[in-house]
Amino acid sequence: MQEIVILGRGGQGAQTAGNLLARSFFEKGQYVQTFATYGGARRGTPVTSSIRVDDQPIRLRCDIELASAMLCFDDSLLDQAFLVKAENTTPIVVNSSKPAQYFKELGDYRILPVDSRHIAQSNGMGKVINSALLGAFVAVLGQPGIDVLCNVVEQNAPAKKEENVAACRQAFNLLRASTMESS
Amino acid sequence: MDAFTDNRNLQLLSGNHAVAIGAKLAKPDVSPVYPITPQTPILEKMIELQSQGQLDTEILTPESEHSALAASISASLTGARVFTATSSQGLLLMHELLHYAAGARSSVVMFNVNRTPAAPWGFWPDQLDSLAQRDTGWIQLYSESPQESLDSVIQAFVIAETANLPVMINHDAFYVSHAVEPVEVPSQSMVDDFLPPFAPPIKLDPEIGRSFGSPISQQNWNQSRQDIAASMSTIGKLVATCGYQWGEITGRRGYDMLELYRCEGAEIVIVTMGSMCGTARVAVDVLRKQGVAVGLIKVRLFRPLPAAALRETLATIPCAIVLDRNYSPGSGGILHQELKSILFGMDQPPKVHGLLAGVGGVSVSPEKLKQLVVTYKDAPPSFEPAWIE
Repeated sequence: MQEIVILGRGGQGAQTAGNLLARSFFEKGQYVQTFATYGGARRGTPVTSSIRVDDQPIRLRCDIELASAMLCFDDSLLDQAFLVKAENTTPIVVNSSKPAQYFKELGDYRILPVDSRHIAQSNGMGKVINSALLGAFVAVLGQPGIDVLCNVVEQNAPAKKEENVAACRQAFNLLRASTMESS
Repeated sequence: MDAFTDNRNLQLLSGNHAVAIGAKLAKPDVSPVYPITPQTPILEKMIELQSQGQLDTEILTPESEHSALAASISASLTGARVFTATSSQGLLLMHELLHYAAGARSSVVMFNVNRTPAAPWGFWPDQLDSLAQRDTGWIQLYSESPQESLDSVIQAFVIAETANLPVMINHDAFYVSHAVEPVEVPSQSMVDDFLPPFAPPIKLDPEIGRSFGSPISQQNWNQSRQDIAASMSTIGKLVATCGYQWGEITGRRGYDMLELYRCEGAEIVIVTMGSMCGTARVAVDVLRKQGVAVGLIKVRLFRPLPAAALRETLATIPCAIVLDRNYSPGSGGILHQELKSILFGMDQPPKVHGLLAGVGGVSVSPEKLKQLVVTYKDAPPSFEPAWIE
């Protein structure tokens, strides 16, 4: 079973991203479970989205303690409370314009920054970064595939469908190139 | 990679949206609902379905939960099928009318999302809100999953409308209410075959001179509770029959008062309700593989408490750990209290350990449950509950 954690701030679309990623795995025939936890519905407060993926029905109903991959919408949220769920090899994709070197002080983690704000803006998405971040994240995960993800993004985006898909693909290609270089 | 090999109508739904779809399929006439986190997606989905022409019900959004339940009771007593939903503070605000709904023998079906009561403020899964209503005369069911929540809503209408008692179905905040997963949605014809129209023999009708809830004598009030007691004594069988019949139609079996998971030859059982049952199944499977004879008793029907079934099951099991995601200050876990009470008079009652696990929505992992089973299997019984960190 894969266990994935997404962390963002209320209003950034972390919960939506979790739902879209889960739906993409579901479209590929996998059992999924995703749930978000948050306090009062306020913009800006941390929101966690948890995703489980398996080839059989998922029965666990508890938080993810050790993630197989993580996605972070805001580098200011990248603290020990979040990183405690990661091992040294766990890929952690983070929305940041800072270089990977910057995050070395956090410890020996596999942190993969992606400037999704820039990608979103260059595709006419303004501050809406979740489609770009999902594209980057799926490149790192290696599944469920960029085509199914783009289909799901297109079906579910309430507006700017083409721009969402373009941002998603651009971030996917960027991360796929950089992860292939590093491996 | 393909896990789905069949063509079931699986839809990716949250627990709350599954509830709304279950309610839609039951075709309620009236749905008075006041929104509250984390129940709100139930109401939002119902309004969406109504606006799409898929749900033909009169949705009322009055100024408070108290008024929502007042409207629900009144509508039910006229013979209308009624659905409502709430959570935590909302359920607590309804408290006065919860008694009224049962005393007036209404058939309201309510979905409650279990959430911590204030203070302090929290939005976390904890069953104290509904367990604190155990003496109001409502039938209470606890659901483990979005699928069970959908199925239970449909079954609850049969139970409520057969027994003329209100039914409250509960699922935990976030772990079930906001968990999005594949849910098999039954067809309308399946539900229509299962759920007959609501046609109470006694109802409020302007053509007939009759009233509900009039002032009565001591003896008549006393008799009203004996009548409720008589109905309550039929609920266990009714819940089992509904679960069986729904299983015949849908193929999803096992809906009963209790579910016994791997209890054969068990030396110790976990007893719990709601979302924690799912995690407990995983812990039981791992421990069984390691040779520990452990099982799970899932309490699905909490009111009326299936005392006879619990006594029969526990007669052959030497040890039980009760996991309570609730805390009654000055006493302990409420399921623990209930379980201890039904052991009275048994020849060889099991050792029972009351564990306050997950109070306030604290996450309880399968590893933690495994540790608890191992720790308490041979421990002496204690009257006091233990806080689990």
